[in-house]
Amino acid sequence: MATDPLLATLDLPRSNGALVFEEPWQARALGMGVVALRSLGVGVVEWRDALAAAIVEHGHHSEEDPAAAYYTAWVAALERVLVERGVTA
Amino acid sequence: MHEHGHDHLHEHEHEHDGGFHTPRPASEAELRTRALEALLVEKGLVSTDAIDAVIDLYVNDVGPQNGARVVARAWADPVFRERLLADGSTAIHEMGYGGEEGHTMMVVANEPDVHNVIVCTLCSCYPWPVLGLPPTWYKSAPYRARVVAEPRAVLAEFGLDLPDSTEIRVWDSTAEVRYLVLPMRPDGSDGMSEEELAGLVTRDSMIGTGLPMAPAPA
Repeated sequence: MATDPLLATLDLPRSNGALVFEEPWQARALGMGVVALRSLGVGVVEWRDALAAAIVEHGHHSEEDPAAAYYTAWVAALERVLVERGVTA
Repeated sequence: MHEHGHDHLHEHEHEHDGGFHTPRPASEAELRTRALEALLVEKGLVSTDAIDAVIDLYVNDVGPQNGARVVARAWADPVFRERLLADGSTAIHEMGYGGEEGHTMMVVANEPDVHNVIVCTLCSCYPWPVLGLPPTWYKSAPYRARVVAEPRAVLAEFGLDLPDSTEIRVWDSTAEVRYLVLPMRPDGSDGMSEEELAGLVTRDSMIGTGLPMAPAPA
């Protein structure tokens, strides 16, 4: 797991140590992100910055579930990294 | 395991197609996630199986129970114990708990006068396939720094008071090697099945900051 420090260093939504997903798409987004970032060789620091920016941009909505908010930003950050890397337009 | 992932997704999709569960339109984020996955699969950057494997490994199937089963087998089967201590990666793999590429699992056994504890001083390397996700304190700077400098004091803060005669060995994980502590089998656990034994094994006992639970009195 040397190549996969992502989950260890990120502050993923958790309850009592276990990852929290409100809906299955959130786990999907996480798994897709881990695989895609690994394939592209995106490092932890780059990803953390991209994710932090997306979280700030997404903002806080009091009615929104925290896991939904986090993974919405996660997907947005992934889209942006893919564009930056020229994978998608 | 992979099939499970697919089925799960399908069930979920059917819910939206107007089954009996409260119909709920897919959120925008959900649609974006699906669209992105389809695109990345098409581009060959990800495969659905690889995503399923990550989800299984880290999400569905993660947790110290995998490690607990390994420890319980080592307690119950001396031959397995030998193999586990000689070549942790292979023995653990035998039980179906794969690691990912590129690192070796080394199992260190507690003895009456030796206690082992694991740490990753540089970051937060952790034996995930057997212990799941690391607890927050494991990743904290104070634990990482102090367990090396003053392990006895740190363990005492976890409620583990070891006699001065016990040697404490601290194992610092690296990118290549991950450690797992094999705690000593608790007294009074004779005759327990492997499954019952696994129930005594705590996460912290496999990190080395705790001990297994004592069996309930018969």
